Amino acid sequence: MNIDQIKKEFPIFDEKIQNNDLVYLDSANSSQKPKIVVDRINEFYTKQFSNVGRSVHYLAVAATNLYENTRSSVQKYINAKDKNEIVFTKGATEALNLVANTLGQSYLQEGDEVLITELEHHSNYVPWHFLRKSKNIKINFAEINEEGEITLEEIEKKITPKTKLISITHLSNVTGAILPVKEITQLAHSKGIIVVVDGCQGAPHLKLDMQDLECDFYAISCHKMYGPTGLGVLYGKKKWLEELPPYQGGGGMINEVKKDKISYGELPNKYEAGTMATAQVIAFDQSIKFLESIGIENVMKHEADLVEYGQELLQKNNSVKLIGNPKNKGGVLSFTIEGVHPHDIATILDEDGVAIRAGHHCCQILHDKLNIPASARASVGIYNTKEDLDQLNQSINNCKKIFNL
Amino acid sequence: MNLKELYQEIILEHGKNPRNLRKTEGFNKDAKGNNPLCGDNVHVYLKLNGQKIVEDASFEGSGCAISMASASIMTDLIKGKNEHEAKEIVEDFLGMIKENPELKSEYLSKDEKTKLMCLSGVKQYPMRVKCATLSWHTMVSAFDEKKEEVKTEN
Ligand SMILES: Cc1ncc(COP(=O)(O)O)c(C=O)c1O
Repeated sequence: MNIDQIKKEFPIFDEKIQNNDLVYLDSANSSQKPKIVVDRINEFYTKQFSNVGRSVHYLAVAATNLYENTRSSVQKYINAKDKNEIVFTKGATEALNLVANTLGQSYLQEGDEVLITELEHHSNYVPWHFLRKSKNIKINFAEINEEGEITLEEIEKKITPKTKLISITHLSNVTGAILPVKEITQLAHSKGIIVVVDGCQGAPHLKLDMQDLECDFYAISCHKMYGPTGLGVLYGKKKWLEELPPYQGGGGMINEVKKDKISYGELPNKYEAGTMATAQVIAFDQSIKFLESIGIENVMKHEADLVEYGQELLQKNNSVKLIGNPKNKGGVLSFTIEGVHPHDIATILDEDGVAIRAGHHCCQILHDKLNIPASARASVGIYNTKEDLDQLNQSINNCKKIFNL
Repeated sequence: MNLKELYQEIILEHGKNPRNLRKTEGFNKDAKGNNPLCGDNVHVYLKLNGQKIVEDASFEGSGCAISMASASIMTDLIKGKNEHEAKEIVEDFLGMIKENPELKSEYLSKDEKTKLMCLSGVKQYPMRVKCATLSWHTMVSAFDEKKEEVKTEN
């Protein structure tokens, strides 16, 4: 696999960013976009645009077919059993809100317990908090170990007879820990517990097989997957999506509307109320093609090599402290530098064209646990090279120099 | 863009060894501020005497070098000023961080102006302006005895 060749498919790397070559290490936040995805949006708007699913004219039918094509591609890519198990949303955040809201309406009862983890992104905590407020459910937290992992044993320990649902991240966006989702799901199902997976960081970087994982729901963020913003995917087992009530009401999701009664549409329309992010959905097909053209095994191998290399570099760098040391780790390197605040690190690195993120990365619970207000995070994507990580290390050294360390 | 202008020696020094990083004993005004995006937070304490003059000012909290240095310098130079003077200085400082090329307030000595101007480097870093201004907004809130936490908008 030729990374230079792959990098050439991303137009942004032809740009000078404040006179520097871009060293983009913020893919856990959002990935850059390959040209085929950008071009597809342009092509759809310039040559093929129409709303989907409403009209019978030629363009509308063609657009609807394209839209549904992506659904089929996603189904295949994540090996879901049924095309109707794929629901488009505005992002993973909306996907998780959809799940929490509809389960809250019809499944979870007062006193029920939801088990999440200390690694969760706010979007996999706040929606459950809403139910804590409105339905009096209880939220329990599985705790991280020294390495920043969540183990199967810890999950088992935190399950009580009242646990009705477990909602966990596939891959931590801070420590990089990959959770044993399959084993957790087996355990949960043996106790009649539903499993929701926040797959934001899993989907772009790991092999996905819903029929193997067997989780009940899996939320995907397309903009982290070399796809457009404003789009997410919710995978849900058919039996759940059929059983649960709709989330939003409006056009497209109905069957029949009368003054005194309304019936709802079939899957997947039931959960896709209103005009959807049509161009984004159609362009996302190209993101999947892009990933398939490389092969997810190659993606995983390349990113694992990068992380190992980066981890070694940073471990050797005095006063850099890596956050977490999970055995099973994805492409995330979060760190602190003794004596330099993460915001100062990010500003100084930016001067060299090195784009990282500083802050709590929407994981305040985790940062509180680690007893730090913020951290710096470098995260990789398919276009990154070892040279990028060398530059990161060099810019960190510059940072230390400025701060007289 | 110029990192040297942003991270001047004075800033680094104050950032590393902030003055008045403590809680004033017997304070009679205080307020909290936070920057929800970064998770930075500050708690400003003021002790005003009978003549409404700031007898002591201090702060607690954590943040980047810019925000720590800013709070450090602010709490130092506000001592001995009354509320009216302090608020005018805040206005002057915020105006300078936003757009004004220099500080104008007659309540600031030349030396104090020089110190504050060291923070002017953030002008070139729009994302960092709120780091420099959080403690100042929070001090105004303390004077005004506002109950809610200050949240930074640029
Ligand atoms: C782990 C995790 N969960 C959820 C989200 C939210 O995803 P989206 O931006 O698609 O709403 C993110 C992205 O910031 C994330 O990293």
